[in-house]
Amino acid sequence: MDISPILDGFGIVLEPSNLIYCLIGVIVGMLIGVLPGLGPGATIAILLPITYGIGPVSAIIMLAGIFYGAQYGGTITSVLLRLPGEASSVVTVFDGFALARKGKAGTALGIAAIGSFIGGTVSILGLTLLAPIVAGFALDFGPPEYAALGVLGVLLISSIGNGNKLKAIIAAAVGLLIATVGRDTFTGAERFTFGSLNLAEGIDFIPIAMGLFGLSEILYNLEERHNQVHAPAKVGNVWPSRKDLGQAKGAIGRGSLIGFLLGVLPGGGATLSSLAAYAFEKRRAKQPERFGKGAVEGVAAPETANNAAATSSFIPLLTLGIPANATMALIFGALLIQGIQPGPQLVTEHPDVFWGVINSMYIGNILLLIMSIPMVGVFVKILRVRPAILAPITVLITLLGAYTVRNQVYDIFLVIGFGLLGYLMKKLGFEPGPLVLAFVLGPMIENSSRQSLLIFGGDPTGFFTRPISGTVLALVLVVALWPLISKAVRRKPAPVPAGPPADPPVEPPVEEKTP
Amino acid sequence: MPTSRTTPRRVLMGVVGAAAALALTACGGVKTTSSGGGEGKYPTGNIEFSVGASAGGSTDLITRALAQGMSKELGVSTPVLNKPGANGALNAKELQSAKADGYKIAVQNASLFTITPLTVSPEEATKIDSFDVITGISRDDYVMATNSQSGFTSIGDMKKSGKTIRYGTTGVGTGAQLASALTFKSAGIDATAVPFDGGAPALTALLGNQVDVSTMQIGEAIENIKAGKLVPLAVFSDKRIDYLPDVKTAKEQGFDVLVTQYRFLTAPKGTPEDVKARLLDAAKKTFATDEYKKFNEQNSLTPMEVSPQEVLTALQQDTAKYKKQLDEFGISLAG
Repeated sequence: MDISPILDGFGIVLEPSNLIYCLIGVIVGMLIGVLPGLGPGATIAILLPITYGIGPVSAIIMLAGIFYGAQYGGTITSVLLRLPGEASSVVTVFDGFALARKGKAGTALGIAAIGSFIGGTVSILGLTLLAPIVAGFALDFGPPEYAALGVLGVLLISSIGNGNKLKAIIAAAVGLLIATVGRDTFTGAERFTFGSLNLAEGIDFIPIAMGLFGLSEILYNLEERHNQVHAPAKVGNVWPSRKDLGQAKGAIGRGSLIGFLLGVLPGGGATLSSLAAYAFEKRRAKQPERFGKGAVEGVAAPETANNAAATSSFIPLLTLGIPANATMALIFGALLIQGIQPGPQLVTEHPDVFWGVINSMYIGNILLLIMSIPMVGVFVKILRVRPAILAPITVLITLLGAYTVRNQVYDIFLVIGFGLLGYLMKKLGFEPGPLVLAFVLGPMIENSSRQSLLIFGGDPTGFFTRPISGTVLALVLVVALWPLISKAVRRKPAPVPAGPPADPPVEPPVEEKTP
Repeated sequence: MPTSRTTPRRVLMGVVGAAAALALTACGGVKTTSSGGGEGKYPTGNIEFSVGASAGGSTDLITRALAQGMSKELGVSTPVLNKPGANGALNAKELQSAKADGYKIAVQNASLFTITPLTVSPEEATKIDSFDVITGISRDDYVMATNSQSGFTSIGDMKKSGKTIRYGTTGVGTGAQLASALTFKSAGIDATAVPFDGGAPALTALLGNQVDVSTMQIGEAIENIKAGKLVPLAVFSDKRIDYLPDVKTAKEQGFDVLVTQYRFLTAPKGTPEDVKARLLDAAKKTFATDEYKKFNEQNSLTPMEVSPQEVLTALQQDTAKYKKQLDEFGISLAG
């Protein structure tokens, strides 16, 4: 491999002006990441005209910085206020918010920052060395593969909760049902839209997540406070201890790998990656019951994975000319404005852009880590603000965030509606997590299955005969039957001596062949 | 608590301040409070461009390029607001009931008026009568392409192969769907449509050989065509496209399929003549800038900077023609 263009790329990035654009990008990204709703996509759209005036490399470095900076920022609200700004940070809420309640918000944010840094960096290394190879891998994923992945995802949802399995399944089913709202992509038929144009494109993720997680929590706390004297949230340590880091180490390593691989897939890899990383950690944990109650790995795994995935989602754009998500579509647009067509020829025609952007991400990640350290201390202090002040401000940010997505007042009412639903769910012991995640995966399963059947000419055996979808479906079976398998395996050795529950032998989830 | 309250509060104010600032930016940098309607010569306030699609799509990029140029010409801010929903119908409904004073305008797609009505109920269809057209903007043509491994180089090759062709489209009610359906039907090729949600997944599926052909907008496919990964089979315009001069039109290959997407600037019905003239003038001056011309080229857009009357005629002709052809071949776009 000829490394001189890579080194030239570093030369480009280290030019002071580019360093400054990178810094501006990551700071703006981090700030908008904190605001739910106003995502990196909208921000880049607003800043697009500014990029006309600066060179292509600087422009893309800045815009890319906004994108991955926002991933860092998104963690902050997920942990502190229970507001996941993106589908890929829903899973972080489970343990992140639990840690914050225990007074360990600093630990959660610190671990997330370190995990994000490592995940991002591993992914950039992968991008540098393997981009062309994994790009081909992305193309091997057609509709049947996405359908299989979606099924695997829904199965993982059922295993991430701690509460009642049946209730988790009910919530997930409701999520799948909500996902069917809107105009059908295949026939144009209206489904549950009640003639409203506002529902024609379905319901956006933001109003649902903001309502079910953020607003419902506030409503629930209001009631709590009437019943008991409110103790101000403790803000204990500000930085993860050596023990926390030790605990998170493995999760960060595995999260990086999962995130990098799934992020390459242009159809929703980031959400799946955080979900898969979390479920994987929970499964291999010695005490899976810690998850959901403030396990450090429960923050480390999804945060590492979603940052790794955010980085590797540049691969389809830079090597194939396929924008993997709305933000990538805008970066695509920004490159066009600069007279550069992203696609297979980018690396040969414009190596300065290709390597400049990739190498800027190394620097951007370092900048983000450096900024995160003092920021964690600052943000954590938000929790010291009295709920009487913090709650209304959170509500305001939530509603504003939902409004900015489509500039529709309608979405504000949706947040309130889902807030009430979330409140009722909490009262009745339902978790919002399975609902939201199933909502995200629902369209992926439905559309991909229907596309697959069209491609197969109506023959469903195609799902099993294609190597990748077949393997994924086999994995689905293994995961589904895992409790039975592990029971069978555990029965073989002599009965485990009773006593204080020593570490039960836990098999790593073996990737078995089709049973 | 020993710690003073000021620190967290200051922090919070900072956060809120930043939030507010960003929220304002989100609204497109609204600096002046008035949204128009004041005395004096038009324009006296911001002109809002709404987009019936998410940020990043062709309509959005065109709107932003145009808004930026017109802002300079008119000397006021031109915030761009994305209001995606129902293929642009949601935005259209809002615009048609807005005050007809030239402070709320939008770039709209022909397909919303010519193709979408073929797939939705009559009361939901958007009608061009509800708007004043200010000027045509540009054409965004479609290309049907195949993976280079398929061995096809023309529509005829697909017919010769005798196999059932699975073709990707960019969704229901799009020109890509219409153009492909008409082509296969009129050529007598056995084919199954696989609708995707937009151009990117249709392109991905084609590059990965999941489908045999896909019809997309030229800008989405051109780079992979240049790289030799995709082979273009046909374009659906009247004449060949400058950006792909070697690609034959469907008409040249003997199939009467003329489908094109174009965009035009609209205002609510009843906008005063002088306001429309001022907007047209600003748009024309923007079209003439090198910057805007370059934008068209980079996005593979063909200028269609024609008069409102020509836009209306084109819309009418296309609507009638599409309807007639669909009836003739017994095609229903709604699956």
